Amino acid sequence: MTDEFDSLDPNVRWIINEARRPVPVDAAARDRLLEALRAEPAPARAPRFVAWLAQPRNFQLPPFAAAALAAGLVGIGVLSGLAINRDGRPATEQLPAVAVGHPQLPDSLAAAAMKFVIVAPQAAKVSLVGDFNRWDATATPMVAQGKDGLWTVFVPLRPGLHTYSFVVDGQFVSDPAAPIAPDDGFGHRSSVVLVRKPTL
Amino acid sequence: MKHMLIRVTALVALTTSLSAQDRGADPLSRLDPSTRYSVELLLDSARHLGLPYGPIESKALEGISKRASGRDIVVAARRVFRALRDARAALGPASSSDELTAAAGALRVGITTTQLSSLAARRDGKALTVPLVVLADLVTRGVARDTASSTIFQLWQSGAADDDFLGLWRSVERDIVSGTDPGVALLNRARQIPAKGPLTAVPPTSGVRPPEDAKT
Repeated sequence: MTDEFDSLDPNVRWIINEARRPVPVDAAARDRLLEALRAEPAPARAPRFVAWLAQPRNFQLPPFAAAALAAGLVGIGVLSGLAINRDGRPATEQLPAVAVGHPQLPDSLAAAAMKFVIVAPQAAKVSLVGDFNRWDATATPMVAQGKDGLWTVFVPLRPGLHTYSFVVDGQFVSDPAAPIAPDDGFGHRSSVVLVRKPTL
Repeated sequence: MKHMLIRVTALVALTTSLSAQDRGADPLSRLDPSTRYSVELLLDSARHLGLPYGPIESKALEGISKRASGRDIVVAARRVFRALRDARAALGPASSSDELTAAAGALRVGITTTQLSSLAARRDGKALTVPLVVLADLVTRGVARDTASSTIFQLWQSGAADDDFLGLWRSVERDIVSGTDPGVALLNRARQIPAKGPLTAVPPTSGVRPPEDAKT
């Protein structure tokens, strides 16, 4: 080792000696450095469950299962669309006479959540009938709101002209806040609501 | 994996079931055979003529819901069919289903096909649905047919938009409820709608006559 060192160029030997020479360090500076390191927060370690979730892994899926999974995801989308508005926005109150369909959907799917309201303080049961529920008095029951006799219901309607009526304790009542439909031929008045087609 | 597959299959089956439920069973099955046959003949005729058949079916279902007799249901459905046919003759074959339905309603309150044709002649690509719905409503509320028709015509040719007609309807309805004469209420409120286009004379068709104070 010594022979090897001696055989080196004198300049290189000088550099090596300089590098080996101990450098005087201030003891207080060393203490400050250790103190600063202790003050640093310890690196957070991800919980084991999170680490397990983040861990990549390989799946093998037969084509049938993949197709079924895709159909299931579509089904979830459809069910969600039935529960709320078609575009995912919460149902909003709109004027009873005219509503606007959602522009990002084709007409066959676009629907506006219409809020129907009637004041019937003495009523025990109120429902909504119209061409959208085949005039079925049991299909769209209305809900009493508070003690003011206000009955409401939200109904998704496709763009177009719809005829409807309220059924208050078995009696057909037209909507006082909507245009009147021409004589129904059966001795009752109905109302008209127009859901406008979306304008892009 | 097998459990997941079962759940996915069940979800797909549920979705299919809901979709089928949405379509529902035969809605006319509650009609007696004779009434049903007559209604289905009308529906077939409407399909054959390219008319919207939804309003006819809806009228039959409305009759069922209101416990009307089979005869009344057939009469009402036939009236809707004829009104749709006449409405298309008046508005033209390019009219939308909603326009035809609204025009059929206007015919049923006594508006003439000539009056409808006058409105359609100044369509300029705009839909006639809202003006016709408002027109039928006004007549039903007691405005004279000629007054209602000529006022709506004046507004229509002066460029009034759907919102103008709906605003007019709301105002007139409020005035009528407050006790104002329906015709007076309409003429007063119509004057407050600013013209958006050049006014021209109302065509000299039978039954269409501009109100005196609308000429100003």
